[in-house]
Amino acid sequence: MSTDITAPQTANPAGIARPHLLRRLSRDPLALIALIFLVAIVVAALLAPVLAPFDPYDTNLRMRLRPPGGDHLLGTDTQGRDMLTRLLYGARTTLALGFASIVVGSLIGTSIGLAAAFYRRLEGPLMRLVDILLSFPSILFGLALAAMLGVGMDSLVIALGLSAAPPIARVARATAASVMQAEYMDAGRVIGLSDGALIRRYLLRNCAAPIVVYCSLQFGETILLAAALGFLGLGLQPPTAELGSIAAEGRSFIFLAPHVSTAASLLIFMIVLSCNLLGDAFRDLTDPKLQR
Amino acid sequence: MTSPNNATLLQVEGLSKKFSVAGRWPWQKRTLSAVNDISFSIAPGETLSLVGESGCGKSTAGRMLVGLTAPSAGRILFEGQDLSGQTASQQRAMRRRIQLIFQDPYGSLNPRMTVGELIAEPALLHGLADRRSANDRVAELLGLVGLAKRHAGRYPHEFSGGQRQRIGIARALAVEPRLIVCDEPVSALDVSVQAQIVNLLQSLQDRLGLSYLFISHGLSVVRHISHRVAVMYLGNIVEIGPKAAIFDQPSHPYTRALLAAAPVPRPGARQASVALAGDMPSPLDPPSGCRFHPRCPFAIERCRREIPALTPGGDGRLVACHRWQEIPAFQANAPGAQHAPKTTRLLALYRQAAANSNSRMSSN
Repeated sequence: MSTDITAPQTANPAGIARPHLLRRLSRDPLALIALIFLVAIVVAALLAPVLAPFDPYDTNLRMRLRPPGGDHLLGTDTQGRDMLTRLLYGARTTLALGFASIVVGSLIGTSIGLAAAFYRRLEGPLMRLVDILLSFPSILFGLALAAMLGVGMDSLVIALGLSAAPPIARVARATAASVMQAEYMDAGRVIGLSDGALIRRYLLRNCAAPIVVYCSLQFGETILLAAALGFLGLGLQPPTAELGSIAAEGRSFIFLAPHVSTAASLLIFMIVLSCNLLGDAFRDLTDPKLQR
Repeated sequence: MTSPNNATLLQVEGLSKKFSVAGRWPWQKRTLSAVNDISFSIAPGETLSLVGESGCGKSTAGRMLVGLTAPSAGRILFEGQDLSGQTASQQRAMRRRIQLIFQDPYGSLNPRMTVGELIAEPALLHGLADRRSANDRVAELLGLVGLAKRHAGRYPHEFSGGQRQRIGIARALAVEPRLIVCDEPVSALDVSVQAQIVNLLQSLQDRLGLSYLFISHGLSVVRHISHRVAVMYLGNIVEIGPKAAIFDQPSHPYTRALLAAAPVPRPGARQASVALAGDMPSPLDPPSGCRFHPRCPFAIERCRREIPALTPGGDGRLVACHRWQEIPAFQANAPGAQHAPKTTRLLALYRQAAANSNSRMSSN
């Protein structure tokens, strides 16, 4: 019985086994398309200064509201700026905003969730606080915070992060609570580990996968909220290219030049849809019950 | 670290654990008395077994020894020092000397750590190894429990139950304990593997002079490994004594029932019919007097009123029963005499066949 165990050495301790996951992702064509689209958008956004044919802030009132075609592939906006350039820079801002916010939100949410599961004493107060925050619609919550903190990248990231945190805290607490039941938590305590080490090395490592998957689902939500705040004028201020505010600017000329609002809205729609599809696929792939 | 009293490593005095349980309404708190005033001691190199039905408090007692559960009352003296009346750092140093082996080898190893990390972690934590010597220490410990050095880079899920239990033992040994609480260490394993683990525990005891508190409900394993046995019922120790005394001449009616209920793998073996009626009463609402009286075939009025104390009962044992001297001597597994003639004939044939195959096997 104590003969060789020739198990494959592919186990990845860091949660999601990456090559494995990608291979299985390829069996889900919709998710694959979403992944390719997102990667393309992210690369394009990162390379915006290189790729963009024009300057995003170079106004030219004589060329305003030109339809797509010709020099300007996607036409021009109300100030005569090139739409393709604006969209590339807008995607850059919006994606960066969404990413920073989800990082902040997951840090806050995971900390709250793990603390609530580890210290049973804190569970009541912390989770009731989360319940209260969840009872506000996230758009309202984000609006209130953005209005309170003022405009600017920092305060926007804080506002978006705080509105993403409560649902993440719930997922983190639920996952952590089931991990807390595991005997290896006791085993860690018996050898004399401190609370901090137990949380980092035992609790967090074993909860990471579901939390990461949930955050990938929340990412789309956060981008949508960021764009909504931009649309309502509480996002980054006008000259800055941001998908939500680009859509808002084109709103008054929707019949005259529909391409401005449509292109920006369509891009938001595609990004959020891809995030959701990809998040769904991740969730299915990491749920052992749904594996074939 | 020398102990002032060499005869005892661990002395437990009046240990109790009461849990507060929510009743029907949040303000209705009920007390569950899981462990009730138990006392015992363990000598260096000795194995004391704690046996009883599930829910009798034996695991809670073990958890209190390793500090996972805080006692409600009583003292735990380890090497003559009280475990509770210490500063945090002193307590940590002493706790290291008492380790725990878990029942479930699948759940007790952090799945995100390699075997090497799992075994090195406690040694590094207590300064018994540094980053450089950790690898050698891991290899040494793996060898000690019968695994190979190359296993250190693997994850727990790549091992079988018996191998995982070996890893758990290596992890416990990493901090050089003197006492290991084994909480049902073989109950979750296949019978063939159980023997290997029990033998490993015994050889480690010989080599390292370990003491064990062996918590189990498997009587055959207990009989194999223990020096002394304590029988628990509903949070109390009802009988404690040397293994031979408990197994050959059990005094307490509950010990008798427990031994009689153990299956004997021999056809034709008849069980002495002391089978217990009913379930164990709820520890939320324990019976008056002797806690065993509602199920005891020998109960009298006195058992209902008076709680029996542990008193010396011959052969170095202590027994908590008012009537142990009056009740008839224990007949372990009386050989069957009341079979139908045909059954007796068949059993005789079976025994003959078994004997033949045995002799054939030994001649090979």
